[in-house]
Amino acid sequence: MITLEHVSFSYANGQPSVKDVSFHLPKGEFAAILGPNGAGKTTTVRLVDGLLQPAEGRVMIDGSDLRESRVSDRARKVGFLFQNPDRQICKNTVREEILFGLRTVRPDLSEEALQARAEETLADFSFTGKEEPFSLSRGQRQRVALASILAVEPEVLILDEPTTGLDYRECCHIMDRIRKMNEEKQVTILMVCHDMEVVLDYARQALVMADGRLLACGPIRDIFRDTALMEQASVLPPQMIGLGLRLGGTFLEADTPDAMADALIASLRKGGTEK
Amino acid sequence: MICIQDLSFTYKNGTEPALREVSLTLPDGDFLGVIGPAGAGKTTLTRAIAGMIPHHYTGDYYGSVTVNGLDTVETPLDQISRLVGTVFQDVESQIISPVVEDEMLYGLENFGVPRAEIPRRLEEALGMVGIADLRERSIASLSGGQRQKVAIASILALKPQILVLDEPTGELDPRSSRQIFTLLRKLNEEQGITVIIVEQKIMLLCEFARHLAVLNEGRVMRQGEVREVLAHAEDLEAAGVNCPRVTTYSRALSARLGERQPVCVDLDEAEALTRRLMK
Amino acid sequence: MNNLFEYVPGNSFIHRLNPITKLLLTVVICVAAFVTDRLPVLLGLLAVNLLFGLIAGVAGRTWNILRGLLKIAVFLFLLQALLYRGGNPVFWIITDQGLLTAGKVVLRLVVVCMPLTLALAVTRISDLTNALTQVLHVPYPYAFTLAATIRFIPQFVEEMNGIMEAQTARGIPFDTARGLKKFSMIVPLCAPLLISSVRKTDQTAAAAEVRGFRLRTRDSAYKRYPFSAGDFAVFACCAAILAGAILL
Repeated sequence: MITLEHVSFSYANGQPSVKDVSFHLPKGEFAAILGPNGAGKTTTVRLVDGLLQPAEGRVMIDGSDLRESRVSDRARKVGFLFQNPDRQICKNTVREEILFGLRTVRPDLSEEALQARAEETLADFSFTGKEEPFSLSRGQRQRVALASILAVEPEVLILDEPTTGLDYRECCHIMDRIRKMNEEKQVTILMVCHDMEVVLDYARQALVMADGRLLACGPIRDIFRDTALMEQASVLPPQMIGLGLRLGGTFLEADTPDAMADALIASLRKGGTEK
Repeated sequence: MICIQDLSFTYKNGTEPALREVSLTLPDGDFLGVIGPAGAGKTTLTRAIAGMIPHHYTGDYYGSVTVNGLDTVETPLDQISRLVGTVFQDVESQIISPVVEDEMLYGLENFGVPRAEIPRRLEEALGMVGIADLRERSIASLSGGQRQKVAIASILALKPQILVLDEPTGELDPRSSRQIFTLLRKLNEEQGITVIIVEQKIMLLCEFARHLAVLNEGRVMRQGEVREVLAHAEDLEAAGVNCPRVTTYSRALSARLGERQPVCVDLDEAEALTRRLMK
Repeated sequence: MNNLFEYVPGNSFIHRLNPITKLLLTVVICVAAFVTDRLPVLLGLLAVNLLFGLIAGVAGRTWNILRGLLKIAVFLFLLQALLYRGGNPVFWIITDQGLLTAGKVVLRLVVVCMPLTLALAVTRISDLTNALTQVLHVPYPYAFTLAATIRFIPQFVEEMNGIMEAQTARGIPFDTARGLKKFSMIVPLCAPLLISSVRKTDQTAAAAEVRGFRLRTRDSAYKRYPFSAGDFAVFACCAAILAGAILL
């Protein structure tokens, strides 16, 4: 669904650049980009959405080169959730906000169809539609931004640190909703996220970046267990993976607190029978 | 010492109280982590300690806050500001100068730090945060993380006795966040500076803070040593605050083994507990 | 746009001048441009501006300012040339006098717009406010307002770019629309911009207050701003420019 071939890009003003990055994500993938500040993660997702044009190489979405269409035309296919929802929200009520996004991207739909879709999205997010976005909390505003993007039913969803500034509960709301889209509608997800616990809980694939280069790409658990790689990208693996690495043996496979506890109980039982 | 007694506050245009009967006492040299869901009153609490409430943000104010014996309502804001340094949540709006060096000078000049001392203070503060090379740069040319460090350095230069930080690592990656916490610990241990930090990153709080205060709907729902607070993980989760995975792990063990296991707050403890149980 | 007001670090003769001197030079150039009505004098003033930029080592910025003014200059030139009545026709309804007047109007515009932008490029805002309070005894709150406004410009532009990017990503064609169509985009751009600006202003005020805004006096600034030989030389130039503009 998303393909990058030898993509390079650098800003004139010294913002992080991207050097010779290639990867492919099939439809329905849920991938996260890991790496320190300045590694080029945000630059990469901007390139994927076409907000930036690569200096070299090419970016393809669903087989078509991004250079052949405009960002604004692609909004129907690719949704982008930014870190700061306040840059997207511009209407007085949640309903208008959702309708505004829909009207822009789907001028082909009739007014009734638009209304019906907005209604469906509102119900899905448990909004009444009358809420005023700017009097809601940051987490709620992020949900409004997400709702207005998902109403369009994109095939690809890009997330740039979507949970920054949110509390744990708000973070789960947002991420659960995104997971649902991924599982039920096979929406391809590419996210940048600094919280490794969130990454482990939700993503399946990891892309590791440092200094603008792609260091590795693979299943999330394998990546986290690669100690040398994590060091190189200055990423601290999630706690349960870290604990598993320290304890070794059957604990290596456990990645949640419950699985870790089960592993201990199992090893105690096994120890007991051996005695 | 900071002493907050039965503090309730409603912003001038607010409908609901942002804080409700909050009482907290912080001894000198404490390291307090404040956590809680959005809208719990965390930022309001930092503003009350820094004297911005009621001097800058007005509203209905009940109860009292004293900082080193000074009542924040009766003491002029400038006098409180000499004691309490504040790092805002929105770094963008905290920085008022277009160049790093000027931002560093601003508070130093206003508070009348002797001219001879200014260059040293400036270099020290930049060095502590690790941004000595950014001194001549314009703020517009810096990344979000670098700006956050500038904001912190400009407050450190003022040598406050109490440091209040409202989510200072929001824009930072895990490595830089750790650097900031390590720096705060150093200031806390070596110079005895009291640190009050609002933070969503629970793992860092558990590792670095001595005490935790959990806020929910304007009230302090739990306060105490980190371990004590984490022992009530169910309550925290009901309020929308997660615990570190290692804490959840030790709880899972308690449930499976049918006997109460010690609460783990970091990886070392979790490893030690597991090894002990396996013997 | 963003970098038009940003400080360009450097150590040129102009950088080292007292901020007040740079301000004076700016004012003098502007006054001279309005006093004179002669094309050669205006051309001379333009040369002074270009020299200013060249000595300060900000040739790139100077070029950008000129390029930025190009559109409006062409528009004004055509307007003046077409509307001027009198003189001998040169082409269609355009007369020689019309061309001359149009040229002067455009030159005056360029000459007046350049010096302040150039002065800001080579003066730190904090130096300007400090010097204003120390040397000219301007009350600090006024000087601060000026500084905060100028500091706010790049922030505002940054926010605007961020909003445009976010709105483009959701399908609003900021990247392609032209002319009247752009009007329909005012709401998605301005609503978020306004709200973030109001929020920021209040917090900036609080940030200044907790760092002793009210304690600041004329003598607070760490740096001092005495006039040097270079400053007096520029004063002499200023007098010469004014005299030239009035007498010639």
